Amino acid sequence: MRSPSGLEALIDALRCLPGVGPKSAQRMAFYLLQRDRPGADRLARALSHALTAVRHCNGCNNFTEQASCELCLSGDRDGTVLCVVETPADLLMIEQTHAYRGQYYVLMGRLSPLDGVGPETLALDRLVRRALDGVVREVVLATNFTVEGEATAHYIGELLRPRGMKLSRIARGLPVGGELEYTDAGTVAQALVERRSLTG
Amino acid sequence: MSSERGGKVRGPAYVLHTLPWRETSLLVEVLTRDHGRLALMARGARRPRSPVRGLLRAFQPLQLEWFGKAELRTMSQAEWATFQPLLDGQALYCGLYLNELMLRLLARDDPHPGLYDAYAETLMALAAVGGEGVVLRRFELRLLKELGYGLQLTLDADSARPLDPAAWYTFDPEQGPRIAAARSNAVQFSGRALCAMAADDWTEPTTAVQAKALMRHVLAFHLGHQDLHTRKLFREITLP
Repeated sequence: MRSPSGLEALIDALRCLPGVGPKSAQRMAFYLLQRDRPGADRLARALSHALTAVRHCNGCNNFTEQASCELCLSGDRDGTVLCVVETPADLLMIEQTHAYRGQYYVLMGRLSPLDGVGPETLALDRLVRRALDGVVREVVLATNFTVEGEATAHYIGELLRPRGMKLSRIARGLPVGGELEYTDAGTVAQALVERRSLTG
Repeated sequence: MSSERGGKVRGPAYVLHTLPWRETSLLVEVLTRDHGRLALMARGARRPRSPVRGLLRAFQPLQLEWFGKAELRTMSQAEWATFQPLLDGQALYCGLYLNELMLRLLARDDPHPGLYDAYAETLMALAAVGGEGVVLRRFELRLLKELGYGLQLTLDADSARPLDPAAWYTFDPEQGPRIAAARSNAVQFSGRALCAMAADDWTEPTTAVQAKALMRHVLAFHLGHQDLHTRKLFREITLP
């Protein structure tokens, strides 16, 4: 028996979500059509609204509904420091700390050399333009401390260094309140390598 | 170096590459010392509090334990083996290049303990001196030798006579050097540089330059049409 084409199209469309295979897609489609039609309607409207309304901020590349996001327009941020993060979730984490008053640039990804994800997938030309706007004095590279995050940080550094930009990388070491005994070997080893002088 | 108990195998290994799998797992391509390149499934490795999160990282010497007979084995344990300084900047790119070379050229389940040891030494050298061309060239030569594609750098492939340091040669990846025809368009290499490579003598700066061109030529032959991502992607940042 063949399923109605509308149902098939829905199942097929749901499969574009990460981690959703044919079985899960089928389950979702049945649920939406049988158990929660109002929910399905909300989902459809929200999706179509988001697709037309949500775009990338001109300043920080984060999601926004305006040309520039609230954070970029806010007057009490320090425009001389630009923090580069991989994802909006990373930006939110830094915002939660209340420790940073500068501005951001969200890459919306990272380089993954061995998977063939190269610089062309990230809007790096926009980052360079943003960093060289004449106001920014320092770029803080806050990509993850994974192989991919480090490769990305190095790449951006190589783009900006020749243009005379001051660059910094967020610090790495023991977590605040961390105890040596319960910290993983890699972190302790790196904390020793990157130890800082207390004299002078 | 490695041991087997209750169907579980333990041994030294390096992670070459990882891919996320389902919600919380990780598919890990590893180079083990005594069992060659393997694909392991690390279940739950991406959970926020997983003990192996952060450990299954490229270039970190590990002690791994795994079981299974199929092509995709299951990783049961991962431990920190020893300290290897983190690669950063250009050294990191060089490391990624080595990993991609091995992912492309090494078959699974084909042990090369000598290559494993050479890889460990190469990573140490990269961490110490940064991206040095000579470090990469030595590893490339070793890799080809281990795979049975070792370069013949001392004799003229046509005459079987020792190379003339003053002459120029074209290079056949399978046969070796041949005297270059006067008007040949093929890439040419100096006899002096080829002899120096064979003797592992890198004192002349031109040797490294010629060696880089030679290895590109030979590796392109073995890699086929698809170029390496690391090379393609980082053309803007020059690899040594």
